Amino acid sequence: MPSAKTLLVVIPAMPLLAAALTAVLGPRLLRTRSHWPTVLGVAFSFAASLLLLFQVHQQVRAEKNATFPSVTLWQWVDVDSSRLAAARTAALVESTAEAGAPPAAKQGTFSINVALQADPLTCVMLAVVTCISLLVAIYSIGYMRGDRGYWRFFSYIPLFVFSMTMLVSASNFLLLYVFWELVGLCSYLLIGFWYQRPAAAAAGKKAFLVNRIGDFGFALGVFLLWTTYGTLNYEDLFGPHHLPYAREALGTAICLLLLAGACGKSAQFPLHVWLPDAMEGPSPVSALIHAATMVTAGVYLVARCLPMFREAPGVLHVVAIIGGGTALLGAIIAVTQTDLKRILAYSTISHLGYMFLALGTGTLLGAVAGMFHLVTHAFFKSLLFLAAGSVMHAMGGVIDIRRFSGLRRRMPITHWTFLFGGLSMAGVIPFAGFFSKDAILLSLAECSGGLIYQTLYWTTFGGIVLIVLYTFRPYFIAFFGPEKIPKEAGDHAHESPRVMTWTLVILAFVAFSVGMVLEWNHVLSDFLAATPSWTTLPLPPAPEVLAKEHLAIALQSSAAVLITLACTAALYLGTRRVIVARLTGLLKLVGIYQLSFGKFFFDQIYWLFIILPAEGFAALCAWADNHVIDGLVNLCGAVPRWFGAALRPLQGGLIQFYALSMAIGLLIMLFLLLL
Amino acid sequence: MNFPELIQSVFDDTLGPGQSLSLFRPELTLCATMIAILLARMILPRWKTSGFYLVLLGLTLALAFVFPWRWFAEGALPGQEIFTGLLAADRFSVALRGLLLLFTLLFVTFTQIAGRWAPEDGAEFFVLLLGAVLGMCLMVSANHVIVVLLGMEMASLPCYVLAGWQRDRRVSSEAALKYAVFGAAAAGILLFGMSLLAGALGSVHLPTMGRRLAELLQAGVDPAQLTALILGGLMVTVGVAFKLAAFPFHFWIPDVFEGATAEVAAFISVASKAAALGLLVRLAGAFVGVPDARQFLVVLVSLLAAVTCTFGNLAAYGQNNLKRLLAYSTIAHAGYMMMPVAAMIALAGGQGSPDAPLSEAQKAVAALLVYLGIYLFMNLAAFAGVAFMRNVAHSEDLRDYAGLVHSSPGFTVCMAIVMFSLLGIPPLSGFTAKWTIFLALVSAKLWTLLAIGVLNTVLSLFYYLRVVKVMTLDAPPADRAAPRIPLTSAAGAYFAMLTVPVVALFFLWGGLSRWADAAAQALFFTTFGP
Repeated sequence: MPSAKTLLVVIPAMPLLAAALTAVLGPRLLRTRSHWPTVLGVAFSFAASLLLLFQVHQQVRAEKNATFPSVTLWQWVDVDSSRLAAARTAALVESTAEAGAPPAAKQGTFSINVALQADPLTCVMLAVVTCISLLVAIYSIGYMRGDRGYWRFFSYIPLFVFSMTMLVSASNFLLLYVFWELVGLCSYLLIGFWYQRPAAAAAGKKAFLVNRIGDFGFALGVFLLWTTYGTLNYEDLFGPHHLPYAREALGTAICLLLLAGACGKSAQFPLHVWLPDAMEGPSPVSALIHAATMVTAGVYLVARCLPMFREAPGVLHVVAIIGGGTALLGAIIAVTQTDLKRILAYSTISHLGYMFLALGTGTLLGAVAGMFHLVTHAFFKSLLFLAAGSVMHAMGGVIDIRRFSGLRRRMPITHWTFLFGGLSMAGVIPFAGFFSKDAILLSLAECSGGLIYQTLYWTTFGGIVLIVLYTFRPYFIAFFGPEKIPKEAGDHAHESPRVMTWTLVILAFVAFSVGMVLEWNHVLSDFLAATPSWTTLPLPPAPEVLAKEHLAIALQSSAAVLITLACTAALYLGTRRVIVARLTGLLKLVGIYQLSFGKFFFDQIYWLFIILPAEGFAALCAWADNHVIDGLVNLCGAVPRWFGAALRPLQGGLIQFYALSMAIGLLIMLFLLLL
Repeated sequence: MNFPELIQSVFDDTLGPGQSLSLFRPELTLCATMIAILLARMILPRWKTSGFYLVLLGLTLALAFVFPWRWFAEGALPGQEIFTGLLAADRFSVALRGLLLLFTLLFVTFTQIAGRWAPEDGAEFFVLLLGAVLGMCLMVSANHVIVVLLGMEMASLPCYVLAGWQRDRRVSSEAALKYAVFGAAAAGILLFGMSLLAGALGSVHLPTMGRRLAELLQAGVDPAQLTALILGGLMVTVGVAFKLAAFPFHFWIPDVFEGATAEVAAFISVASKAAALGLLVRLAGAFVGVPDARQFLVVLVSLLAAVTCTFGNLAAYGQNNLKRLLAYSTIAHAGYMMMPVAAMIALAGGQGSPDAPLSEAQKAVAALLVYLGIYLFMNLAAFAGVAFMRNVAHSEDLRDYAGLVHSSPGFTVCMAIVMFSLLGIPPLSGFTAKWTIFLALVSAKLWTLLAIGVLNTVLSLFYYLRVVKVMTLDAPPADRAAPRIPLTSAAGAYFAMLTVPVVALFFLWGGLSRWADAAAQALFFTTFGP
């Protein structure tokens, strides 16, 4: 069996190789066979990820405080800057004086290794990322067939897989930041994949710009981390013998800046506006990047830094409130949208909010629940997106649910798999979403954080009702009722090719079973609890107490889900749409419908308060460029000519001026210095 | 000491255990190569090749004799004076000579691929080139006023001829003449300044001059002598500033670059600059022990750096000829590279922490070396791109690069990488270079200079990106065939090969900075003692 270190390197290396191969050979040689390097490479990484997961799991079971595999590829930066460090060290010693322990990290050297590490958290992320990537890559063979940019698509996808696997296995913040940006780049490239369409190009730009805001915060956070601790390594910051965390305002500032990055990437309020537009990209991209993997990078970041977040006052409340707020916001908007992919996008925003919320409890229970939900969500949401893509494929690119219905007879496999995904998302027992959703509720109920968490618990509980509503409203509209097919689809609306439907079936099976598998015997929570950075988190109460609580929550939530499901079915299945219209009218009267349908007018608000002033500033800059900078430039070009022109009559030639200019320069310098 | 004893001591120093001659082997190899090329032409009149392989062999041997790798590995060569104090042999000179010879090696290959001349011309070209490199090697190890002058003239004279290489072009001859006139004036001023300094200080040995200056200032100095000193210092600076093409002594460079071929432009912009910077470090290093001189020099070098950098960037804005644009960008880069020298001078007074292997001033020099090591590749690559395009499209005008991405995608990508690197965007090595020198400025607390450097980087964004924009976004000219440079051709492959280190040095940052630290370690042994 290959060693864990080899596996750790192989996992990102294979997709990178595939990306390079496809980019070089794709346009000429591979053409319609361009998917082979990607599928093989990612399959290889998936296998390696599973092996690694297995090895690390063995290790966790074997010994309590295992040292996890890590591998240093090479030393990237090694700059000695002791003078800078000296001042900083003094400051840190002062600020941590009450903590008692002196900073242990190597001070004075800005040294960054290109090093990878695999703790349980990383292993879980790696397995999820490579698994979904593999399935999506296979699905794309069918979905992207015949596209002009076929090879381009299959060189972006492995590049993304490479970046994402590196992101989760990086062992320091700088490397994390590099790959954080690289996944952003891949996301940008893939959102604007059909760059000929203005909407796609604009969506790509929007995603990139909104992410800039978050990433700027993240970068500042990394700077501040370094100036505070003098190290960026996880080992020094979250390891068993980590540095004492900065308290007070400094600690809060670091955490909030990192959180800004996480909010940008994971589309949390107020930076959530890019994700719905990102649906302009091909559906497999939406499934892979904008539902299952990249958008969870923010969750991963918060999970990674959780002990630090705990120490900083108030930060956990911010995480929880942002998460809870976004969860509710996304859910409310999703209820009234008519674009199937956008409904799913808002639901993604909402689910990511739940993950933040769970992490915001700051307990081990919450952290595990957040990661658990991340895993199940990755499967059921990518399934839903791929099923939506299958619908879109058949409908000739139309995704507006008002324009088709009754598809269940023509597309039986898509219908069934969508149903599985929907049931899992709605949290119907025993689908995967049920377990992870209850884990989140349980962690909130167990959190002794006071009124805030109480409120958030009930908000979440209310959110469950909305999940069911926004999942099954489009489901019933699209797949039931009289058959209606848009004219773009022509007369050949049919089930998708086998390569797509099979991946859907596999995903449906996973989305159904993964919750049970991971919940069984607490295999996931025991494994994740061994993550070095989580060892200091507060432990959950005794299992007997917990089980009782858990059962109560499960019963309550299941009742709520089933009742809502029945109501939704009654509303949208029957012919009596009058009730729907009445209800809509009532909501419109209150104004909540307009808010929801208009997405709370975030785009408009941002346009007024950010884009408009920015454009004004840009106009000002353009004016300055034309008048001030160009003037300076022309002056620079003109000065020698003026000199030449002024002196030419005297000297009769230009060469002498050159020699003279030297003397003049010397005189000017002398004058300036003696002044 | 009577005359025979003196002769004996010189003899001992040259051949004896001091091993002056063995440390001088790279230069001797260069001389031998030049003679061999000339002899080969005489003995073999039908000899059709230009002596390219002979040059390659000579340069490789010379590079091997510099032994950069061995000395850095063992931490040997703490620094010594050779030839009775004429030259300094330390790791700084090893590093710079290694860089120069490596550059020449790459450059010779480049001229062989891109150059278009008859073989007999080639031999002349190579002889002149090697002569210039010999002079540059002397410049970077100069420890004596005579060697400073000798090295500068040896480096400059072949460059005048090289600049006028296209004898049938009027512009070329004119450029060479202007260059020569300017160079003569600069040399005159330099010599005058040196004689002033030597007269006031009573020595021509640079470290001794530094010590004498300290004694003189301590004992008190009368105003006339002080004026002579200041004037001398300024004049020497002007001489070096000419080689560096610092504002306002840069007037020759756009003309020379216009007249000379892109190959020669690459040589002047990289090798000549590297040597001049090495010389600047040597000259400044001799006087940094004196606080007053330090203050004077910091102001002088910072001023030159700031003005040169700003001017180069502003002037590059309006250029439509890519070679001219690069000429001005070269001026700007000279400005950036003077910044760590200013930092070095400013830091030389302070004491580093006792357990640190390098003093802060040495770190500033290490920053300069990092910059030079990266600049070598990226600027050579930029000029190589221009030369290859000239061979294909017969034009250096930016408009003829329009839409190049459609006909030569690989070439365009490499060119874009080079442009982004010159600008200093991660993940390219140009970022490493800028970051390192800015760090040196931070530790020297030269905040104004830092602000100017950063602002200039922003300024340069425009014209570097314009090249990329023209190549990728503009429509190709419809009236003629698009130029094609496939990466499988010799030119394309060479260009791609040059862009590899431009990218790779960013990721091997640690190794590069360790190398530079090692090179800077034994510097200033003559000023502060070993």
